[in-house]
Amino acid sequence: MRFVLGLLAAILVGLAIGGASALVLSGIWPRSSAPTGIAGIAIDGWRTDFAIGSDAADPYTRARVARHGLFALQRREAIYFTRSRDERGRPLREGCRYRLSGMGQAARWWSITLYDANSRLPMNKDQALSISASETGEGAWQAIIAPQRPEGADHWISSRNAGHFDLTLRLYVPSAEVLETPKLALNPPRIARLGCTTAEGL
Amino acid sequence: MRTFLTLFVLLAAIVIGHLAVLYGAPGFIMQRAMAAMEQRGIPQHGFRLAPRMTPQTQRVVRASPELAYSICLFDFSEGVDAVAIEMAAWPGYSSLSVYDAQTNNFLTFRGEGKRFAMRLLPPLSEPEGFSIPAPTQRGVVLIRRIAPNEADYRAVEKIAVEDSCRAIRGGNAR
Repeated sequence: MRFVLGLLAAILVGLAIGGASALVLSGIWPRSSAPTGIAGIAIDGWRTDFAIGSDAADPYTRARVARHGLFALQRREAIYFTRSRDERGRPLREGCRYRLSGMGQAARWWSITLYDANSRLPMNKDQALSISASETGEGAWQAIIAPQRPEGADHWISSRNAGHFDLTLRLYVPSAEVLETPKLALNPPRIARLGCTTAEGL
Repeated sequence: MRTFLTLFVLLAAIVIGHLAVLYGAPGFIMQRAMAAMEQRGIPQHGFRLAPRMTPQTQRVVRASPELAYSICLFDFSEGVDAVAIEMAAWPGYSSLSVYDAQTNNFLTFRGEGKRFAMRLLPPLSEPEGFSIPAPTQRGVVLIRRIAPNEADYRAVEKIAVEDSCRAIRGGNAR
């Protein structure tokens, strides 16, 4: 009887360990884990996996994207790069101001959107959630990421109520060059920290 | 011997639990997402334009605030022979993408400024031209249109009423 109970306990404990490890390794759990575990391609801090949206993606990528990027498109239509750290590797957070700068992209259209640690748009009414080619045109551009509207900035992305956050760069209808040689063809936007109001996470 | 057997059962349970959660997660998440859409009134076999995407209106993770989304749920489990889908013309970027119940984006067509029409067929049907079988009985059709400001979204509202997602019954699938 003790042996049978031991086997039942082993089954329950094993299922729990196996299930929990799958949730952690795929980035589904804990809830606050953002999709930064993307394994595919890294370009100056921006990460992506071209298998996103495809049934060719490995099961960990598929589970992670289902949790953090449900309804993603296949790469010929759109590619998604994410970063959660500044150029010196420090986590992006609401208590700091950042300068985001870049050029046009080899794609029909692009945007950069700020998401909180739950992969949601931060709960504010600033109407400054993102920047896109519709606003910047083709040339060089700069935007300030901060919880309050900065004076004199051309573009602003609000981090109000974002806590720790990440940025998603979307390229719609990327060029063949971006898909074939992304490290050469992508213009990775840069993100420099300008200052912080709190010392957390230095 | 008993200790060895217990360890073997423990390891087997870990592997089974890991794989079950890993492979079951996308389907589970998609099922919950579709149920939430139904609760919000998104119809089966009919497009609904989502409100302009804001922190207050977002319902799925990582929604893009520059895009206008029209959504249709499809379900072949109750005698539907086909789903006729039409995307109205939009001068900017637009795409029609179809997702199965496992979250896979198995079809995407670009609008290119023109109206686009296709038919979705039940799983295992023979494809023919723009009549294409879905891998699973249920899923989601999504139309995206770039509409980064209020004026563009209002323009999408006017043309999105011409989007169509219609169940066909009675042996007239093609």
